[in-house]
Amino acid sequence: MLSGLRGLGVTLRGALRSKVTSEYPKEHLPLDNRFMGFPALTWDVARDEPYCTGCMVCVRYCPTQCMSGKMQDNEKFSEGVSHRKKIIESFEINLGRCILCGICVDVCNFDAIEMSLEHERSERLRNANRVDLPTLLDMGRVYQVEVGWKQSKPNAASPNERAVAKAAEEEAKAAEESVVGAPDLVDSVNMAEETGDDAA
Amino acid sequence: MTENATPTNMGSTVTQVPSPEPGTVDMMVNMGPQHPATHGVFRMELRVDGEQIQDLVPHIGYLHRGSEKLCEHESYSQIITLFDRLDYVSNFNNELVIVSAVEKLMDVAPPPRAELIRIIMCEFNRIASHLLFYGTFAIDMGAITPLLYNFRDREKIQALFESVSGARMMHNYFRVGGVKQDVADDFESRSLALCNELEYGIGETDRLLTENEIFLERTSGIGVISGEDALDWGLSGPVLRASGVPYDVRVDEPYSRYDELDFGIPVGSAGDCWDRFYVRILEARESVSIIRQAIALMEPGDTMAKIRRIARPPAGEVYAHCENPRGDLGVYIVSEGGDRPYRLKVRPPSFCNLQALRDLTVGHYIADAVVILGTLDIVLGEVDR
Amino acid sequence: MSFTDILFAFAGLFGLFSALAVGVLSLTWLERKTLARIQQRAGPSVVGPHGLLQPFADAMKLATKEDIIPAYADKLLFWMAPVFVAVPAFLIWLAIPFGDRVAVRVLDLGLLYLVAISGIGVVGLLMGGWASSSRYSMLGGLRAAAQLVSYEIPIVIVILSVAVLVQSLSLDAVIGGNTITIGEATRDLPGQGLIPFAFVMPMGFVIFFIAGLAELGRTPFDIHHAESEVVGGPFVEYSGAHWAVFFLAEYLNTFVISALIIVLFFGGWSWPNPPESIFGNDLSSTTTNFVGGAWFMFKTYIVAVTIFWIRGTYPRLRIDQLMTFAWQVLIPLAFVNFALIAVVLFYDWPLWMMPTLSLPILIGAAIGVQRGRGVRDRPQTVRILRRSAGEIGRPMPNAPTQTQISGEGQAGD
Repeated sequence: MLSGLRGLGVTLRGALRSKVTSEYPKEHLPLDNRFMGFPALTWDVARDEPYCTGCMVCVRYCPTQCMSGKMQDNEKFSEGVSHRKKIIESFEINLGRCILCGICVDVCNFDAIEMSLEHERSERLRNANRVDLPTLLDMGRVYQVEVGWKQSKPNAASPNERAVAKAAEEEAKAAEESVVGAPDLVDSVNMAEETGDDAA
Repeated sequence: MTENATPTNMGSTVTQVPSPEPGTVDMMVNMGPQHPATHGVFRMELRVDGEQIQDLVPHIGYLHRGSEKLCEHESYSQIITLFDRLDYVSNFNNELVIVSAVEKLMDVAPPPRAELIRIIMCEFNRIASHLLFYGTFAIDMGAITPLLYNFRDREKIQALFESVSGARMMHNYFRVGGVKQDVADDFESRSLALCNELEYGIGETDRLLTENEIFLERTSGIGVISGEDALDWGLSGPVLRASGVPYDVRVDEPYSRYDELDFGIPVGSAGDCWDRFYVRILEARESVSIIRQAIALMEPGDTMAKIRRIARPPAGEVYAHCENPRGDLGVYIVSEGGDRPYRLKVRPPSFCNLQALRDLTVGHYIADAVVILGTLDIVLGEVDR
Repeated sequence: MSFTDILFAFAGLFGLFSALAVGVLSLTWLERKTLARIQQRAGPSVVGPHGLLQPFADAMKLATKEDIIPAYADKLLFWMAPVFVAVPAFLIWLAIPFGDRVAVRVLDLGLLYLVAISGIGVVGLLMGGWASSSRYSMLGGLRAAAQLVSYEIPIVIVILSVAVLVQSLSLDAVIGGNTITIGEATRDLPGQGLIPFAFVMPMGFVIFFIAGLAELGRTPFDIHHAESEVVGGPFVEYSGAHWAVFFLAEYLNTFVISALIIVLFFGGWSWPNPPESIFGNDLSSTTTNFVGGAWFMFKTYIVAVTIFWIRGTYPRLRIDQLMTFAWQVLIPLAFVNFALIAVVLFYDWPLWMMPTLSLPILIGAAIGVQRGRGVRDRPQTVRILRRSAGEIGRPMPNAPTQTQISGEGQAGD
């Protein structure tokens, strides 16, 4: 019985530590910004339209086939306001089938779909947990504000913006190379050392 | 068993079989798919003579989801999500197997930082899986507190997973060629702090259970299997190592960057339930040491190799295997050159370990059947796929 | 018996019943809170402040649940079984003293009464197991009966040792002491006012505690209603109010065993006060008796918390290991304890000889149990092999290489 008494000591020490549980739903634990909640569609504030062009790549790559959507011609393109030729008309995600894997976010070329931080969307009926385009855009807006979202995929930007960004990049590169002429020298010194070692 | 199963009593819980002794019958006790101690939907039919088990017939398939068939219709990025859900307790290790297999086929090497991140995540997952084992094993025997302590530590590990991959369990984080995204800046300090807490937690379970007389009475000398028998049955993982065979895939056929890390593998000699338990305790401690070494080796760099986003391996066949917390998890892929495999076959360690259950259990008491099943540490998602 | 006597008797019974009901409900709350505290979680906290009304919610739920009686059950026995388990637990409380000669019924043969009544509970469990006409409950009932009967023996022997120590069967003598005359000489046997019997008979205390845990059917001896095996044992077919009575009986028994431990080994209402006064106050007033009773209850609750603490820590023994422990360890130790106290009193040795003789035996027995389980040599069966020490790292023989599998377009050999 003697080494069994050690166990009593362990539980006594445990009793003196504070509790590690929180009472949900009174207390919510903080979520990381990377948390993968339900997918949501993002809103392009500058052009007042969704980022989503309806290309359906996410629909094709979803493992559970929980999404469906329809594409339409973008009026704003013909007006010259937006660079998107096509825009999403209707979109539905069956959140009951979504497995929160994030593949749709990975394959999207336009930064249009993101995993929001929402995870509390239960419904009473079995197939009722489906959301349509306006709800998805609302979820997306909330998400964008919550995490300070910035677009990151190159194709999300318009051709003008991409050209501007590229020009800026090339300027920065040229500036680096001109200010520090030494990198060439340093590189050649390093190479000499390496070849020196090989020779030795 | 089949000779007694007529269509009217197929699957019945009460059948009587004439036993060798004249005038007596053995009793059929069914530990059915719904049972607090069978670790998932698993059915054990026990033929008992009083309290002693004469025969054991396991029934699996209650969790079969057609994973291997689904893999024939899904691209490799979708297959990673399926593999997450095979052994749903050690997700990162499953992802590592499929990703390693496709990388082998495509002859792609992930960058060193990605490999270290993978190793760290897999070892944390190993610790989390073993913590689940200690807790459920103890509660099968009536000790209710270790479960709560171990789940407290698991929660910390899962919070770390959430900060790295975005999900606590089904991560979909490893990719062919690397990992999905880089870790946050505070990852290293957070992991090291977590390692200290985990060492304390594992030590707590150790002090509560390992040398407890009641625990020893329940596990010592129960379910003994020798090293040769274990190899014959194709066992792997802690079950094999507890029987004295020092085989660990990380050491004997190193993958990723395990050959750069110095760690020990615990090997038992008695081959009973206590050894299988203690091997897992020591293994979790070694995993903590691996994580510390890996963090020390981490350097800034890429986390994804420069390959196309959608993996299209060339035609061919490949077998890759890794050390799951449960044993030797392998995957065999036959590819015809597209972005989907032609056929994918999983070698699950729990399934192979479960084959030895009958040999381990016959001759013991009903209460021991639960203990032995616990030490095999099966996950039905892997057994049934 | 006059009318007032009968009235007082009924009033006492009614008061005891209500007090016990509240006490037992509070014990369920205390158990859940204690376990939660050990496990670093909250326990009941929603129903009422700090979950204090949780037991009432549980009671209401159980009372309104559907009563399911199995079709093949023996109806009379099915109904009587919970009664046979719960009523003895109440009856034991009749003799327990809360103050000097303050009990519902002051009995001169209190210890004999205790032993007799506690035997009735076994019958109830057997009835429950049999009447449920279910395989699992029959198994559980038989196991429970065997366990309870085996562990009665050490309890009875230890109670006898205490009776020998005070040379009386009355519970008031156990607390307050006794004066006996042997021929011409009188002998003053002290009560527990100065030194509780736990320090005089440590081995007896430990045996009584462990055997009492087994009598209750609590971890580590709760195999008969272990969830992971026979899932409920003799109680598996009971639901709703029937099961509530079994549940009540278990906690009543817990309460009673804790109270008995305090009465027999920790001085009941008196220690650490000498038997003449309580916290400096005279014994005759009612308020002092209330204080004495409250102090007794406080000590009882401490023992109950210790029982819950043990429940949270240890795994459970298998039925054959349990029986081996009773017959091969506890009963011989109980006999040794009895013999020792008899010898000490017969030869008129000072009382401190008793712990001096019995503690080494107790520690020796504990070490023997440990050695028998092989505690000392267990961790050495597992050793760690390291690659850096050259002990591991050779590939398995006959392992197929990658070229054999994936090259040349051939399937495996």
